[in-house]
Amino acid sequence: MRQLRRDYDEFVERDAEVIIIGPEDEAAFAGYWEKENLPFVGLPDPKHTVLKLYGQEINLFKLGRMPAQVIVDRTGQARYVHYGHSMSDIPPNEELLALLDDLNQGEQK
Amino acid sequence: MSNRITLNAQAPDFALKDFHGQTVRLADYRGRKHVALVFNRGFT
Repeated sequence: MRQLRRDYDEFVERDAEVIIIGPEDEAAFAGYWEKENLPFVGLPDPKHTVLKLYGQEINLFKLGRMPAQVIVDRTGQARYVHYGHSMSDIPPNEELLALLDDLNQGEQK
Repeated sequence: MSNRITLNAQAPDFALKDFHGQTVRLADYRGRKHVALVFNRGFT
């Protein structure tokens, strides 16, 4: 999350919004956003509706959710999909930003 | 065990309220911005 915060401006420059979705409730989101001063959109999903819709996996042994990232382009198509295989399996922001660069360049052609 | 999103296919739309109570839909961004959806592994 801190990596994303550090690079948030890079996402904005590439005309992208960052949306975090998690199973915590509204109060947990609000508290964390205030504490960390986070600029992106935070969506609590305590009923797990979107988490299930997007197939975020649960690690039953570690009692945690595996991280997942999906980049949806301006037309609504999923252009990048990464499902983490462990709690620390998170792609570097550079990978996401490079993909956004490709999307933007593709639009100009 | 779960649905997985297919690359280069339409991403399923959804609507959730943010922690200010405002409804956010994926479709709200269509034609305007790209969206990086990050599924959280928990706040640490």
